[in-house]
Amino acid sequence: MAEKKEQLLEMYKTMVRIRTFEKEAIDLFAAGKFPGFVHSYLGEEAIATGVCANLKDSDYICSTHRGHGHLIAKGGKLDLMMAELYGKSTGYCKGKGGSMHIADVDLGILGANGIVGAGMPIATGAAFACKYRKTDNVAIAFFGDGASDRATFHESLNLASIWKLPVVFVCENNGWAISNSQENHQNITDVSDRATAYGIPGVSIDGNDVMAISEAAEEAIKRARKGDGPTLIECKTWRHRGHFEGDPGAYKDPKDQEEWLSDAKDALVRVEKKLIELKYANKADLDKVKADAQTEVDAAVKFAEQSPDPDPSEVLTDVYTV
Amino acid sequence: MVSVGIIANPASGKDIRRLVAHSITFNNQEKVNIVQRAILGLNSVGVEELIYMPDYYNIVPRAMACMPGDYKLNIKVIQADMVMNGIQEDSADAARLMRECHTGCIITLGGDGTNRMVAKTCGDVPVLPISTGTNNVFPRMLEGTGAGMAAGVVARGLVNGSKSIQKNKKLKILKEGTLVDIALIDAVVLKDIFIGSRAIWDAERIKQVVVTRGEPDSIGISAIAGNLEPIGTLDEYGMAIEIGQGGDITIMAPIAPGLIRPVPIRNYRLLNLGEEVKVSNGPGVIALDGEREIEVGENDEYFIQLTLDGPNVVNVRETLREAVQKGYSRMGNL
Repeated sequence: MAEKKEQLLEMYKTMVRIRTFEKEAIDLFAAGKFPGFVHSYLGEEAIATGVCANLKDSDYICSTHRGHGHLIAKGGKLDLMMAELYGKSTGYCKGKGGSMHIADVDLGILGANGIVGAGMPIATGAAFACKYRKTDNVAIAFFGDGASDRATFHESLNLASIWKLPVVFVCENNGWAISNSQENHQNITDVSDRATAYGIPGVSIDGNDVMAISEAAEEAIKRARKGDGPTLIECKTWRHRGHFEGDPGAYKDPKDQEEWLSDAKDALVRVEKKLIELKYANKADLDKVKADAQTEVDAAVKFAEQSPDPDPSEVLTDVYTV
Repeated sequence: MVSVGIIANPASGKDIRRLVAHSITFNNQEKVNIVQRAILGLNSVGVEELIYMPDYYNIVPRAMACMPGDYKLNIKVIQADMVMNGIQEDSADAARLMRECHTGCIITLGGDGTNRMVAKTCGDVPVLPISTGTNNVFPRMLEGTGAGMAAGVVARGLVNGSKSIQKNKKLKILKEGTLVDIALIDAVVLKDIFIGSRAIWDAERIKQVVVTRGEPDSIGISAIAGNLEPIGTLDEYGMAIEIGQGGDITIMAPIAPGLIRPVPIRNYRLLNLGEEVKVSNGPGVIALDGEREIEVGENDEYFIQLTLDGPNVVNVRETLREAVQKGYSRMGNL
């Protein structure tokens, strides 16, 4: 029981850190504080948190263009992330990558990725390396419903299933591929149905229930570590914002938007209610978690703002040329 | 107007038990195929109207859209006038509407969980459950064509035998004397504190089991009862079991598909109709028909009661046998 309490409190803290970071990033971007794009992870915090709660530092993740949440959940440092968003030399990629290319190989973060569906082959390759080196490490590929239409999805699942690779494919199905609704881009509603075609387990779960996600991820990761091969987990969720900051999301039905943002569905509010019901925390405890997260994010912003820009002389450093 | 309802759950057969056990993934296109054959069966025996539950996969409209062109269907297909929320309560709402519309039979596609929702509101309308779920003690694996024909025969009032339509038992979950939920097959008290992913796959987390029935070949927690003393659908008793060390018996039971586990039995007893079993003190979770549903607080007082007011269930083979005896299959008699 004590272990469950600790686990739930830890997951709550991670979700709060993600939400606080994302809200700050949205405001800063709107104020023109940094360039590039922001694809907000608001609303989907439970998925990265529930999955990464079951990983070791030596495990790998491959993220997406909507990657801040995955990186934070895997242990990414907020100050280095924020500096990268600002394009500063102290950022994770020395300011050359921005929001969509943050990586930290030491933490097993093999990168956010600006190309839809591009993380899956990388995760499959990382899983091959884990198996080839005879480690018990695993790789996680995060992607969306839109990416599950790409060849990279089908090729990755095919290869991973043939070679029984230790990889878990986590589909964050938020119902939208940019502004294209799922019913417009695929003739199925449950992406998990596609697992059958590759002879691997596929499950659909509530993507706003961190406990359900953690349970499913725990079992899939256990399976991967044992050498039983890949799993497809579909998490049904909703992004609170548009595809990117600046997209008003006018294509969404306002009723759906209102419902998904309600306390009954919001992933963070649901954990808060659970913590209070179980008497694992009181309101003051939760407020402290939020205040601590805000302090950490404020420090990250200060670090980013005070950091130097990259030196123009380094424009070709770390850049592949042919 | 001879009317039949169809409630097909698009979410059945997809939960975590594909991962922690060895359950099949039941894809929605296969449900479309089953429904298509059921509609052809209904049409063949003269059913005039089909009312269906709307669902996010549009199972019935898809079945109609891919109906071969050379079939001349006389059946009118109507969507139930209800709001679809994409949650399990949709099945209960649909069953209520179908009862109010005087449908003569409701075909369900799902597992024990789907049928539990239907049983809450279907009243006396006979249910014909086709298994597309995980733990399938209540529904059976059936071919859609025969199921459609049998449902049509029932809706037309062509059979009335007790073998054809059987009254089922049910469990009432009572909190301080008030009915809060039901189960058709089993209610299981777990050491868990979260509903989480809903499924049960760890025998060590089970504290108590109450069943309406159980056979040795059942899949799910009711198999524990089935491997102690089998109890059939028509037996007028159930069973209460306490799980844990301290007893003389340990049995092997398939608690989920492919998951055959040793289960230590502290004690068990047969349960008469009307009898109640006190739920052990919380915190805990009560799972109903294989899915964690109710979180029990430290001071909550719950009871589980066995009753005989479960749904009327159509036995396809017995129904069609009875109908054949009455000459229904001879051309010109329908």
